[in-house]
Amino acid sequence: MAVPTDVIPRRPTLLFIVVLALLFVLMSFSQQTRYLGETRTMFERTVMTVFSPVPKFVSWVGGSAQDIHHGYLDMRRAVNENLELRRTVASLTTENLKLRQSEGDLKRLRSLLAYAEQFDMKTSMGQTIMLDTAGRFKSIIIDRGSADGVQVNDVVANANGLLGRVVLTTNDLAKVQLVTDNNCSVGSLIERTRRQGVVRGSGGTSLHLFDIPSLADVQPGDRILTAGIDGIYPRGIPIGTVVRAEPGQSLFKTVTLKPAVDFGTIEEVIVIHTRKVPPSVVRYAP
Amino acid sequence: MRWLRFAIGLLIALTLHSLLDSFYPNALAFFNPYVILVVYYSMGGNILGAIAAGVLAGFVQDAFSNAMFGLHAFSLTVCAYVVAYINSRLALRGTLAFGACLGGAVIVNELVIYVLVNILVKQRIEMFEQALLVKTIFTLLFGMFVYQLLTLFLREEPIEATRRPAAW
Repeated sequence: MAVPTDVIPRRPTLLFIVVLALLFVLMSFSQQTRYLGETRTMFERTVMTVFSPVPKFVSWVGGSAQDIHHGYLDMRRAVNENLELRRTVASLTTENLKLRQSEGDLKRLRSLLAYAEQFDMKTSMGQTIMLDTAGRFKSIIIDRGSADGVQVNDVVANANGLLGRVVLTTNDLAKVQLVTDNNCSVGSLIERTRRQGVVRGSGGTSLHLFDIPSLADVQPGDRILTAGIDGIYPRGIPIGTVVRAEPGQSLFKTVTLKPAVDFGTIEEVIVIHTRKVPPSVVRYAP
Repeated sequence: MRWLRFAIGLLIALTLHSLLDSFYPNALAFFNPYVILVVYYSMGGNILGAIAAGVLAGFVQDAFSNAMFGLHAFSLTVCAYVVAYINSRLALRGTLAFGACLGGAVIVNELVIYVLVNILVKQRIEMFEQALLVKTIFTLLFGMFVYQLLTLFLREEPIEATRRPAAW
């Protein structure tokens, strides 16, 4: 069915042809100016300038979106990396602690070994498994017993000095009476003057040096060693340091010592299998 | 109002052009958003408005592409005139009619460009047939999708639609 002529709009064919002709001229001009080095005509520049905010905005939005996306990815990567690093730090810290402990153990054992090698007697290493220094009777229990050759009256020391002597053994354990026990006596001497005396435990944390005459030269800081005269302790093991030397009420001085060993930190010990004096020799009276 | 809607459509087409240029530089070889805009506008049957829309959209496309300035304006004006002329005679409505107009417009547009480039630059466009086929398919698909969105969801009719009965 034909469309009624009154509703068909006027067709501006002439205008269409004119527009096409103008556009063709514009194109030709544009094409020619390209060869002259002018890549953009003024009209083209004007159109670009008018519409340039759109590509700029798109570029800005795209750039911002990319920045946000990359920022988010970077953040995720950083978070994951941070977690991984935290795990690594925790692992390395644990490893470091183990290594430090091993290093400390190694140092102690080396010093202990070097100390043990000073003695011409047989020695063996042990580990403290129980520590009772708080009560009146000061003792420790070590993980070496008669099966390891430990006997009563064997001397126990560490790299810092004398700990005490074995008073009881089982097959695999031994009880050690510490020098701070007030039932413990050790024949001793002052390293500087070679004056001999007897060290006894106070039952507390300090020691006392007895049988030092009032006129004897004893000064704070003097080192006290075992004298090797009591039939139990070998000569030369550090017992402590003089912290106070006062004239006593009788003929002897009152000398207080600080033990060479910190009894709160005992770990590895050396058991020195001393040469025992036979009872018949002790009992013999000419 | 119709010019405002055309201006918004032109800005959207230019935005799409810029986006594709930025992220998929070869995409515009397969797809032309300006043809969709011009055909959509020209389906109203207003020949004068269609010519103006074709020229304007073509200028914008020319300004932001590396072609001779006026090349796309020329081809889009021809497309706009043909579509508007047909729609001034026939009241074509619906997605299929729009698709037919759009497909024809893409082919006409590419052919006009082909001829103009041959005449003015004396160059042959490489793989013209393949490019024409791909561009027609993709532009048609995208254009019909946009048309469906506008008519179904926004209840939009082609700009300046004339309410005339079909001519056949």
